[in-house]
Amino acid sequence: MKTTRLKKILVAMTAAAAFGTASQSYAEDPVRIGGIYILSGSAATYGEFAQKGINLAVDEINASGGILGRQVEMVYEDSQGKASVAIQAARKLVYSEGVDALVGLDSSGVAQGMVPTMPELQKPLIITHAATPDVTGKLCNPFTYRISVNVAQNMKAAALVASETEATNWTTIGPDYAFGHQSWEFFGEYLKDIKPEVNLMSETNFPRFGAEDFTPFIDRVMNSDAEGVLISVWGGDLVNFIRQANNRGFFEKDLELMFTVGAATEVLSALGEDMPEGVHLSTRYWYDAYDNDINNRFVKAYIDAYGNPPSYNAEGAYAAIYAYKKAMEAAGSTEGPAVAKVLNGMSMEAPNGTVTFRKGDNQAMVSPNWGISGPMHPEHGIRTLTNLQIFDGEKVARTIEATGCKL
Amino acid sequence: MSGIGAALLNSLDIGLLLFIIAVGLNIVFGVLNIINFAHGALYMLGAYLAFSLINIAGMPFWAALILAPIGVAIIAVIIDRLLLRFIYSRDVADSLLLTFAILLIINESVRMIWGSGIQVVQPPDLLSGSVQLLGSSVATYSLFVIVMGLLLLGGLWYLFNRTRVGRIMRAAALDRDMAEALCINTRLVVTGVFAFGAWLAAVGGVMAAPMRALDPGMGDKIIIESFIVVVIGGLGSFPGALIGAVILGLIHGFGGRYLPEVNLLLPFVGMALVLLFKPNGIMGKGATA
Repeated sequence: MKTTRLKKILVAMTAAAAFGTASQSYAEDPVRIGGIYILSGSAATYGEFAQKGINLAVDEINASGGILGRQVEMVYEDSQGKASVAIQAARKLVYSEGVDALVGLDSSGVAQGMVPTMPELQKPLIITHAATPDVTGKLCNPFTYRISVNVAQNMKAAALVASETEATNWTTIGPDYAFGHQSWEFFGEYLKDIKPEVNLMSETNFPRFGAEDFTPFIDRVMNSDAEGVLISVWGGDLVNFIRQANNRGFFEKDLELMFTVGAATEVLSALGEDMPEGVHLSTRYWYDAYDNDINNRFVKAYIDAYGNPPSYNAEGAYAAIYAYKKAMEAAGSTEGPAVAKVLNGMSMEAPNGTVTFRKGDNQAMVSPNWGISGPMHPEHGIRTLTNLQIFDGEKVARTIEATGCKL
Repeated sequence: MSGIGAALLNSLDIGLLLFIIAVGLNIVFGVLNIINFAHGALYMLGAYLAFSLINIAGMPFWAALILAPIGVAIIAVIIDRLLLRFIYSRDVADSLLLTFAILLIINESVRMIWGSGIQVVQPPDLLSGSVQLLGSSVATYSLFVIVMGLLLLGGLWYLFNRTRVGRIMRAAALDRDMAEALCINTRLVVTGVFAFGAWLAAVGGVMAAPMRALDPGMGDKIIIESFIVVVIGGLGSFPGALIGAVILGLIHGFGGRYLPEVNLLLPFVGMALVLLFKPNGIMGKGATA
């Protein structure tokens, strides 16, 4: 009795599953893409930037015929900034929502946790924000791609910028988790390579992420022999940091200051004129750095839709949807393994120029942007970047051997 | 030793702001026997209301400092009458669950109303810039926080020890049935105390706004710090909130400067030490009994 009932259920489930997959490959159905971002809590603004970028891409693609003639539909899940939540979200998106591909991830910790589960899901993931080198390094796999700049690329560029300054004694102020520590490690290693006479100070500063009051660390650096400071504090923390540093007279000292995520538009808009002039600011994509049709169209559409210039995170997410369009159309299907295979080594045109997912590690060869904060932008209400440097994405990337990735 | 002066003032600035917030948490627990998880969310509401009054309505900072906490106190009265009154007679764990739900509701409401972006409030002109004190330059606004903290400390002490309202609150905390028998309207006391706790949280929020960026997670950050203060100082104790807040302020102010490698650990080491030797906190109820 019991076994027959069980059998019936099994048969029903198998039928449902078979029917389900059959209906999914039906040509009229939309292409479904799952997005996993931080959509609640203090970093929710980053998830919203990604959504803004994605919405623009989806609207444009759908208006011009979709992907493989099918409309594109997004399904979002909140990662809450936690790896366990993101893993569950990915399973839900793939198994219950039937998405064909995934984009997402704002946090390095989430990326490190989720990336190893991608081969099990058999769907491609394009990371659009999380910057830990590990996911296109020792944790790499054939289903995981990243379209945004990683810490190693950005720190190589930072070291190149730093090597041109006169500062010899370098220290850091960064959040006390992987991002802050890895930024300093890569920066130190590269800078020492380029300019062996630099001194990497043993006095480093890693305040808690979300520390609110950075004054103790600001004072400590001001009272040290530091001539150059790498600052990887970001987001709301960076806004606090700059305002408190202004109060302490930090920017009047003769220091070379390098803010690794300082040109993020959300930070610049919050700070306005409080962001000092003459400091080195970086971002993974600066909206004013690229004069090409795609970028001009993207920036204009973004400002028209949302009223302010696009953040780096919006650009990465926007480009990721176009990457799927190109890959799925080249593969002629939305099957996970086929799409992933095309993505490997694929080149595409994005707002930040030609982007190639390198064959050896699936990391996009994109350029970090560094500049020096200049006068206020007359319309956008944020600092402009002067002396802008766009690095060659290929040249600032680690060699494949150095990444530790074996695909 | 200019460094020590700066560290000391910085510690007081951090500590006294924490005191304003944690003392509200403690008063609510002392009188109502509720551990208010939503206290940090009320602090955030204070900051965001001030943001609206200053940046959108164009009011001066001082007006916001008066109005925003009153607004939050009114919201607290609504929360109390609508939700909390049902759980006063229940176990303290129920209050944790309910106030956690309130916290989530407030957090999401703030995100829906003000958005998830980073907002800033400028300090009033009078308090911007810095002054020379104890051999180093100190932000004028930090001094204002210290002065306000001390004024509130004095005011609270006076309220609890020298006024009838304060005595009624203490009576209700000690024995609510007896207070009721003595014709004290305890329902009014209960609502009043919860609103007063929320008012204190919101004052903290308005004071924090000009030096700390506003985002929908700011309440979560402060509630953890406040709980550390309360564990160190003693749950439900007024002097405990002061001692706990000053200790935590010193840990941040000196720890960041002189022991930065372990700055993350220090507050928890402090908490562990207190739990080992004074399980109820330095001034906790029952610690001396």
